[in-house]
Amino acid sequence: MGYLDGFKVTFKKLFEERVTTEYPKEKRPKPPRFHGRHVLNRYEDGMEKCIGCELCAGVCPAKCIYVRGADNPETEPVSPGERYGYVYEINYLRCIHCDLCVEACPTEAITESKLFEFSFANRSDAIYTKDELVVDDDGQPKRQPWELWHDGDDLATSGWMRATAPSGNPDYQNRVGWSGELGYGVRAPETGQQEKFPELSDLDFLTEDQAEEQH
Amino acid sequence: MSDSVPNEVSVNINGAEVRAKAGEMLIAAADRAGVHIPRFCYHERMSSVGMCRMCLVDVDTGRGPMLQPSCMVPVAEGMSVDTQSEDTKRAQEGILEFLLVNHPLDCPVCDKGGECPLQDQTMAYGPGESRFVEEKRHYEKPIPISDLVHLDRERCILCDRCTRFADEIAGDPLIHFTERGNSTQVLTFPDEPFSSYFSGNTVQICPVGALTAAPYRFKARPWDLDQVESTCTTCSMGCRTAVQSSRNELVRYLGVDIESVNHGWLCDKGRFNFEATNSEERLTVPLIRDPNDERQLLGSDWGSALANAAEAILDAGSDGIGIIGGSRLTNEDAYAWSKLARSIIRTDNLDAQLGDGLPAELVHSLPPATIADACEADTVLVVGPDLKEELAILHLRLRGAATKGHTKVVEINAAPSGCEPYVERAIRCGSGEAAKYLGEILNSDDDLATRLREGSVVAVVGRSSMAESDHSSIAVAALIRDELPHATFLTALRRGNVRGALDMGLAPGVLPGRTAIDNPSSALDDIWGYTPSMKGLDTTGMLQAAAEGKIRTLVLLGADPLSDFPDRNLAAEAIQRAETVISLDNFLTASSAQADIILPTTAYGEQGGTTTNLEGRISRLTQKITPPGSVRDDWMIATELAWRLGGDLNLTSKEQIWREIEQVAPSHAGVTVERIMSEEAREGILVQESSVEYIFPSVQEPPIADGYGLRLISGRKLWDASTTTSMSPSLRPLAEAPVLKVHPTDLQRLGILSGSDVRVISTRSTENLKAVADESLERGTALLPFNQPGFGANRFIDATAAVNDIRIETL
Repeated sequence: MGYLDGFKVTFKKLFEERVTTEYPKEKRPKPPRFHGRHVLNRYEDGMEKCIGCELCAGVCPAKCIYVRGADNPETEPVSPGERYGYVYEINYLRCIHCDLCVEACPTEAITESKLFEFSFANRSDAIYTKDELVVDDDGQPKRQPWELWHDGDDLATSGWMRATAPSGNPDYQNRVGWSGELGYGVRAPETGQQEKFPELSDLDFLTEDQAEEQH
Repeated sequence: MSDSVPNEVSVNINGAEVRAKAGEMLIAAADRAGVHIPRFCYHERMSSVGMCRMCLVDVDTGRGPMLQPSCMVPVAEGMSVDTQSEDTKRAQEGILEFLLVNHPLDCPVCDKGGECPLQDQTMAYGPGESRFVEEKRHYEKPIPISDLVHLDRERCILCDRCTRFADEIAGDPLIHFTERGNSTQVLTFPDEPFSSYFSGNTVQICPVGALTAAPYRFKARPWDLDQVESTCTTCSMGCRTAVQSSRNELVRYLGVDIESVNHGWLCDKGRFNFEATNSEERLTVPLIRDPNDERQLLGSDWGSALANAAEAILDAGSDGIGIIGGSRLTNEDAYAWSKLARSIIRTDNLDAQLGDGLPAELVHSLPPATIADACEADTVLVVGPDLKEELAILHLRLRGAATKGHTKVVEINAAPSGCEPYVERAIRCGSGEAAKYLGEILNSDDDLATRLREGSVVAVVGRSSMAESDHSSIAVAALIRDELPHATFLTALRRGNVRGALDMGLAPGVLPGRTAIDNPSSALDDIWGYTPSMKGLDTTGMLQAAAEGKIRTLVLLGADPLSDFPDRNLAAEAIQRAETVISLDNFLTASSAQADIILPTTAYGEQGGTTTNLEGRISRLTQKITPPGSVRDDWMIATELAWRLGGDLNLTSKEQIWREIEQVAPSHAGVTVERIMSEEAREGILVQESSVEYIFPSVQEPPIADGYGLRLISGRKLWDASTTTSMSPSLRPLAEAPVLKVHPTDLQRLGILSGSDVRVISTRSTENLKAVADESLERGTALLPFNQPGFGANRFIDATAAVNDIRIETL
């Protein structure tokens, strides 16, 4: 009767808490440092933070970023300085979401959102340009037709913590390390790295109905 | 020391014995010994000033170690130097902390960021943290100090490199320190831009991003750049350059320091004309004239364009064809065309010069000098074009040598030139009469005559004015050969690879390897099979023959006779009358726009090969980017045409072409591909042998101008309407509209106000131009730049006349 032992496991699991979710109707909250697709942030006055310095492109191990700077037009400046990001492209067929671009960015212009659910029907859609990457007039990422978001998924798109500095460094915990940002203003300071990943039971799940409601 | 050598001292640097020249600065001795001392203001081609204090090192001359700036301390016997002592490190940290007090940290938007000596040395020697918390100094962010250079005074660390360059090297002291103390800053004089022909060099030597170049501004970051070393072919100086591209687009040239030619400097024309290669106006497909509508050019494919070209060449027959131009070509391309013309088309009507140079036999037969010879000669005799305008880096080298007292420059010219500030004597002669004036000096009891006869002499000979025939230059060369047999020559021919083209036989009467047409080498005979025995026509002859209908097919090898040939009327008539004009060019120029078949060719940066400078120095060109569209190298077009003409050039690659050149050209024997590929070729491989003899023709003195006429003098300007300048958006605005300069008395006599429009009448044409009074001219002469936007002096010039006179009238 040894073969019934296996069924015993199955039977026992029927009465335990379910660990799978009805994805994509239900989504688990993502960890705060989740690396999704990028956004290019703007200052509170609407100016772009990107200065076209190409440090992100320089550091990218997948060589998926193409940036070109240009002289800021005097009458209609795009960013506050002399130079702005004239071309900005990320090829998501290549990007490995390592976040080194975010680490390298001197102006917090590029951050990674929690959005990762997108599929393309052709290669050119996989190349996000400034049209797709720059946040909208409310400071929120622009939803692309091929991206699956539930409401709320796009919150805290620039919520990110550098591995190196400043909040990765205990000295800078609880100090504001941000410049004001369109949509979020001056964000609360980082609290530093957590001891351990939160227990699943501590996390909120959206039920199917809630998800439906929010949509 | 027992093995002591005069003028040499022994210094101990970081524990190692280093031999140094007496009087040499410590930092230079350390450099040669491989010990790097950080520095900002020190530059090996300029005098030391000790401005930045970054090169402080511990020097012990017997009184104990003491911090001293190594760029200001000459080496001394027994000196002991420690470049890594604790004190040195503290000094370096201190200096960097001070420099960063005011230097903004806008590296991410700075063009220098990533290749910045201040950044690099802060990383290597800096303190890591600054104690300075106050507000930094603020100035208006970049101010354009010229059309090509931006100045950001916030970033400036006051190292004095740019100002020293402008003063010492360029001789255009148009930027200087102003104000004192904390507000010391580099600035131009009020309302006077930094309009030096060499301004781009200050950008290259700036150790921070204070000076940036407008054409490169925000084009790329240093880590995007791909770089090869090459040689500039803008003029025939052959300056060594680093060609940098990003994403298959040329974005920057930098000067590379080689001792024999450019010392790291470039003129702005050579530095910034990469924009022409990137131009949208480039020809990318072959064009042929629409058979139904003469005014239209149609895009075509290579097959039909080459077939049409071959047909036109066959139709014309070997006597009915003329090949003009070729100075844009590399040596290999020039050789292929020389071989095609002589062995397959069987003509000797080919000339790389456009009636604006010297006879090829003369160039080959003059005893050669090098630029270095000129810089060390007792006397440099300049009888030729305004070097500052036409061979800007030669001017810079001569200026450097003259101001340091290594040589004395004597100039004989009909009009004032850019060299006058440093020449020992500027002798003003009548147009076409330089030989007469030189003769008078040589036969006088002038000190100069003694020095010329007894000391070493390098003569820089070229065409002083496009409005006089080459006879005046020939007469000067003849006189110097006669009277000063010890003199050596630099031929001031301007076009990119004109010397290489002549060496490859792109001139009537000379074959590859500086041999006369009646004296081909046996290897050449074997490989070519056929060479014409009669000397053919030069450009003037070909254009005359074409205008008379004797030449039916004209091939323009990157030549634009309508803009560059001294006699526009003749060129226009020839192009009009020729049945077929085939043009190989990068752009639709005035001439190629009128051609019937236009074959697009690769431009600078898109082709490898070799080039030869005015000394006969062969150096390597390197391909950096892939060419646009379906353009081809000129040698490929030659081989394709050969097949269509029923022959075979047997040329398969540039390397193989060079192997053949090395075989057939006696002067180039021993200059192997291996040598060209080696490190030696960075300085260039000097080829000076020649077996060509030149029989000086008897030259008559030019006629005396009549009382009403003004003798026309016409030279080129650096910023003119040449193709590369006008196709470079940053450079195009620098070329000024032409004005006729006349002595004020002459204007007064005619009742003309300076600055008003006048009617200018010559035997060739009547045109309206602005006339301006200029006291520096001789009376009875008129100065008009040769090829400025909208108007060329070649409208007035008769190429067959010894000199050209014009008359002016009020409108």
